[in-house]
Amino acid sequence: MMRGIHQNFDQQQAPAFFARGPSPLARLSFFTALSLALMATDSRLQYLTGLRENLMTLLHPLQIVANVPADMYHATSEYFSTHHHLLDENARLKKQALMQDITLQRLNILSLENTNLRNLLDAKQALVETSTLAEVIHVGRDSFTKKIIVNRGKNHNVVTGAAAVDAKGVIGQVTRVYPSSSEITLITDKSLAIPVQIERNGLRAIAFGKGRDNTLDLPYLPANVDIRRGDKLVTSGIDGVYPAGLAVATVIEMKTTQDSPFAHIVCMPAGGIENNRQILLVSVPQAELETAVEATSGERTKLPATAAHTAKPAIPAATAVVTEESQPHAQQ
Amino acid sequence: MRNNKLKSIYLSLLAAFICMLFPWSGIALSLRPDFMLLVILFWLLRAPNQCSVGTAWFMGLWIDLATGGIFGQYALAYTITTFFAVIYQRRLVLFSSTQQLVYVFSLLFLSQLILLILKTFAGKEFLGWSYFLPSITGALLWQLAVIFGLNTGRHSHGN
Repeated sequence: MMRGIHQNFDQQQAPAFFARGPSPLARLSFFTALSLALMATDSRLQYLTGLRENLMTLLHPLQIVANVPADMYHATSEYFSTHHHLLDENARLKKQALMQDITLQRLNILSLENTNLRNLLDAKQALVETSTLAEVIHVGRDSFTKKIIVNRGKNHNVVTGAAAVDAKGVIGQVTRVYPSSSEITLITDKSLAIPVQIERNGLRAIAFGKGRDNTLDLPYLPANVDIRRGDKLVTSGIDGVYPAGLAVATVIEMKTTQDSPFAHIVCMPAGGIENNRQILLVSVPQAELETAVEATSGERTKLPATAAHTAKPAIPAATAVVTEESQPHAQQ
Repeated sequence: MRNNKLKSIYLSLLAAFICMLFPWSGIALSLRPDFMLLVILFWLLRAPNQCSVGTAWFMGLWIDLATGGIFGQYALAYTITTFFAVIYQRRLVLFSSTQQLVYVFSLLFLSQLILLILKTFAGKEFLGWSYFLPSITGALLWQLAVIFGLNTGRHSHGN
């Protein structure tokens, strides 16, 4: 068939007047080979990371330009929001601030108590996580991948592997860092896994993104596992990526079938996966990472190289988490 | 004349790229036509000497970069699609607008199909039949542009 096309075109190309350079078939084969080579290089080797960073810097102004209409829409709708609405919001925020003040006072006492207890136990002090507030500049470019781009990057000390959190819970992880922007893979992406704990009974598990429907799966858990609908999942903190105790998701479906030894558990993310514009990027400092690993040495057999992998910025942490963690669980 | 044409090609490609970069989400994202491929196909019909398989490959690379996927996926999809447009370019120009519409739709569908295969190889999941909706909206957009007087061949000598 290809030969037929080729001959067909040769006939067309014959007069010099219509010369168009190399034949389409030649171009097709050349660019197809180039694309295949690029795909192989990009998916298996790390050579193109630098190139991608540089090109992303070029792309940054265009992304800002593309966001202008949406920004203008937000600005005008904010401008026209009524006086009444603003008063309402103000009252609500004041109430919220008051509530949080009370919680904060208790937190102060608790952290004081915690310091004292740590002194008594002669344990190392946990470092405070460094955090950066970032704003989403680019969402949903591709329906296959759940990724967003935020406006903080290498220049603002964002590191690969940092957790992305909003007011309600974890929303993802920084997977690529560019000079002035960075890419966050949402927890609903198929390639991202997050170590969690059931708040009610402390059971540890790993939640995987489903890739569609904005839900998470808890695979490889036995059918008789103690999980119910409405259970809250929080980060367990043993991976050294996410600070412990952040809300991740709520179980919305728990099913067991006769033909499978595993339970079918679906969870709904707690964070505003697709509706928030401000996101907090939290990175756990290296020193704490070590203490976290020491503290959970019992878990090391279960989750071998996660912490070590996330410490290497060259490897996208999300993929590292998946490959390292899916195996031990599959063997259970 | 030729420079003017090149300039308009580049400007329209840039505009299409910015359209792709808009913060689409939800239903709008699942309906978003492939502006880039539409513009490339248009120029393939109108100026096959200036815009060809290479241009499509290059622009596909930029889309790959913007989507954060593996380099070369969109590039390959665009390359193969434009190849099928180029080999029938002379006939396409002479087609009636309905015939053109059908052909453009099949090209858009083909590019999505190739992309789906590549993404599935890379471990992504098929999103259901609504995945192919952009082909339909893309063809509609093409028809709309033709109705509003965009010249897709035939009388290109007049301009």
